[in-house]
Amino acid sequence: MSGTGGWLNPAGQAAVPWRLIADDGAAAAGGLAVDEALMARYARGEQPAAPTLRLYTYRTHCALIGRYQNLEAEVDLDACRETGTQVSRRPTGGGAIIMGAGQLGVALTAAAPSGRRPREIIEDLAAALITGLAGLGITAVFKGKNDLEVNGRKIAGLGLYLDQSGALLFHASVLADLDIDFMLRALRIPAAKLADKAAAAVAERVTTLTALTGVRWDGPALRPVIEAGFAKTFGADLEPAQPSAAELTAAGELATARYASMSWLADRSAALDGSGSAALKTPAGLARIYLTTHGDLVKNAIVVGDFNDLPPAVADMEAALRWHRLDDRSVAAVVARTGAAGALAVPADQLVAAVLHAGHQAVDRLAAAPARSEGSCYFPEPTVRHQ
Amino acid sequence: MTDDALREVSGFAIALDRAYAPATHMWVRPTGDLHVTIGMDPLGVETSGTLAQLSLPEPGQVLIAGQPFGQLEAVKFVGPLTSPVSGTVRAVNAAAAADPGLVEREPFTAGWLIKAILSDPADLGKLLTDPQAITDWYAARIADYRLSGAIAR
Repeated sequence: MSGTGGWLNPAGQAAVPWRLIADDGAAAAGGLAVDEALMARYARGEQPAAPTLRLYTYRTHCALIGRYQNLEAEVDLDACRETGTQVSRRPTGGGAIIMGAGQLGVALTAAAPSGRRPREIIEDLAAALITGLAGLGITAVFKGKNDLEVNGRKIAGLGLYLDQSGALLFHASVLADLDIDFMLRALRIPAAKLADKAAAAVAERVTTLTALTGVRWDGPALRPVIEAGFAKTFGADLEPAQPSAAELTAAGELATARYASMSWLADRSAALDGSGSAALKTPAGLARIYLTTHGDLVKNAIVVGDFNDLPPAVADMEAALRWHRLDDRSVAAVVARTGAAGALAVPADQLVAAVLHAGHQAVDRLAAAPARSEGSCYFPEPTVRHQ
Repeated sequence: MTDDALREVSGFAIALDRAYAPATHMWVRPTGDLHVTIGMDPLGVETSGTLAQLSLPEPGQVLIAGQPFGQLEAVKFVGPLTSPVSGTVRAVNAAAAADPGLVEREPFTAGWLIKAILSDPADLGKLLTDPQAITDWYAARIADYRLSGAIAR
């Protein structure tokens, strides 16, 4: 059963209930600190324990960046100060996100399985989210690099952290709802360049339960849906609980010493962020490809043009390029695999050349003058900001 | 490494001139007098995700078999690099730390992670060293990962 998450039930303890922790309104640093504190009981040498599932929301709003992202490249700190938005850095990878009452945070802590690879672990655990959403009649699938999508639009971001002691933290952010205008303000997003198209372009690439159902959802309302997904997927008996006193004490210390500390927030990746763009002439008019990069990785890709609807193959290409290395062969493979050139009615080599041109522009600009770009997990910034 | 040592198994390269820790996909290549080079095989890299950053130890750090010696940060995953042997770090691959893509492009050569001196040569005997056993293990893991979706089918 290891291939379906059987490793979540410690040997001989299949019948032991999982802890289910539910809370709302977490502060940025405090929320992340609790997640890490919950890992302690799964360290090597501890007694085997059933997993802990925490389903929670942050206070409206918090901006959380990924482990290796550069803070000021991802978040508009002035806007965050003006709006009272708290900022912190997750221990898990992935892009910058906005969290609040509209987004359900999922934190699963357990002992890391021996011999099971990160991608397998993420897929095992994401199955619970897929099952939960399926209970609402929503079909979510893996796309790109470990995101969940519905009809080609992102509905959840996933991340995994294995600490040095052998404990595991799986993070997910599920979009019950999303204030796109606020996100455009708080995260580094090209609102200035794309003006009124920005919100529409984001809406073409992400979706929420509210958008899918026509009924307003929020994180707390989504909680039982995801809870049911975990219970069904893993046959788990989820027992409501609170963090122990020791865990709360540890969380308080972690919040101060790590998640709210300047050294943690200002931690910088060795790789620089850049961005560039390229024009592409299509029979339907001029399209423009925007790329943001992190070192030689594509952080985000977006194609903007006079489309009534973003062609699915182009959306597939955007997702497939995300977190891909910027080299000729892999870009050509992505273009070929997704059929994006056909959807845009241009030769594949022209589309490949345009993607590479945008990427090389970002890298070349960095070589000429170190700069920081902007971009979130949803949308890139088409310009380079010089410091 | 000679070309003779390099094989392809179901689309993935494997070098047969070194030892492997099956659970972590770390390789150890003896270079003489208890000296070894340590790296990660292509399956380990592929199933971690695109590498974004590597945190490697300083020379002089003590290694303990089965314990972390550094950290790997892939785009959606952050986790430990686990030492397959005990010993002391002698050198660190600064080129790989600066360009993690090097580990993806040349996992058995320029993409090595650390060089070390073994404290117990018997550690090597606990790893997979027989070429046929390595090939069989690798093929089985590739099949498993394709089945689970961790690598492309």
